[in-house]
Amino acid sequence: MHEFSLIRSMLDIVEDYAAKHGFEHVNAIRLSFGRLSCIEPKSLEFGFKIQSEGTKAEGATLEFDIHPVVVYCLDCEKEFHADHWCDACPTCKGENVMLNGGMEELKIVSLDVI
Amino acid sequence: MKVSVIKNVLDANDRLAADNKALFDDKKVYVINLMSSPGAGKTTLVERTIVALQDQYKIGVIEGDIQDTCDADRVARLGIPVVQINTGGACHIDGNMVREALPTFDLAALDLLIVENVGNLVCPAEFKIGENEKVMILSTPEGSDKPAKYPLMFREAAVMIINKMDLMPYVDFNLEKAKKDALTINPKLKIFEVSCKTSGGLTGWIEWLSAQITTYKKS
Repeated sequence: MHEFSLIRSMLDIVEDYAAKHGFEHVNAIRLSFGRLSCIEPKSLEFGFKIQSEGTKAEGATLEFDIHPVVVYCLDCEKEFHADHWCDACPTCKGENVMLNGGMEELKIVSLDVI
Repeated sequence: MKVSVIKNVLDANDRLAADNKALFDDKKVYVINLMSSPGAGKTTLVERTIVALQDQYKIGVIEGDIQDTCDADRVARLGIPVVQINTGGACHIDGNMVREALPTFDLAALDLLIVENVGNLVCPAEFKIGENEKVMILSTPEGSDKPAKYPLMFREAAVMIINKMDLMPYVDFNLEKAKKDALTINPKLKIFEVSCKTSGGLTGWIEWLSAQITTYKKS
């Protein structure tokens, strides 16, 4: 459901940049977010296809840079990456861990425009 | 041609939230954004908090629901100014919805504004509204796996209230696991174990909130 608000904000940003940079059409939008930030690329793509109709971003491809889940083990004093939330260190199996990354907010990194 | 942007998609909402915050700071209104799953006990916590603090502070409430006004009616019965926001399908309250609700209140006369968000563990965590703190409720029948399943909510919240502790004998809730996972995600999280039904454990929450308001008023 939150995709609707996110896509509306993305399209507003595209319009702002089109006014500033004078481009006519967007071919691709590069986005970044953390794996745990509740963004589902497929839902975003589906909503974007519909909501972008008639805008400068109609038909644009969405590209995703997804930051991994970063967990720090306080016992091994090492960081490890995962593709989902985990509450134990894969090396020592200990649960003395801290979440250090993967919650990054949805950002527009760049626009490929003509 | 490539145009570099590097902008939070919710930047426009963040700016509206910052405007709200500036207004609250000017009038010294302490604001909490209360979030949880549907049925975790948000409105009951709001009622208990009002009863405990209404002699000490002037309180206002914004109720967010997809439709209906039953939560606002419950709060209004306590003699508290309340505005119901019907999001009309949206799964969260955003900065603009709060801004539009504000003219109903005499902000200069308020000490505490409680914003009860739409029941949802996902989207409300993303949208700032200008709050001082996000407070979330996890109720024991929901299960202790919720921090692991919805980490963003637990990361964003300053306080986790574990509600329905009176149901512990009847539900399969691993209290230690829920607390440990939540603290792994957010080591600064303040945790209160309460039952809004029996009022058990609520003193800790009320004292914490009262201290927060006092500190804020002096700042």
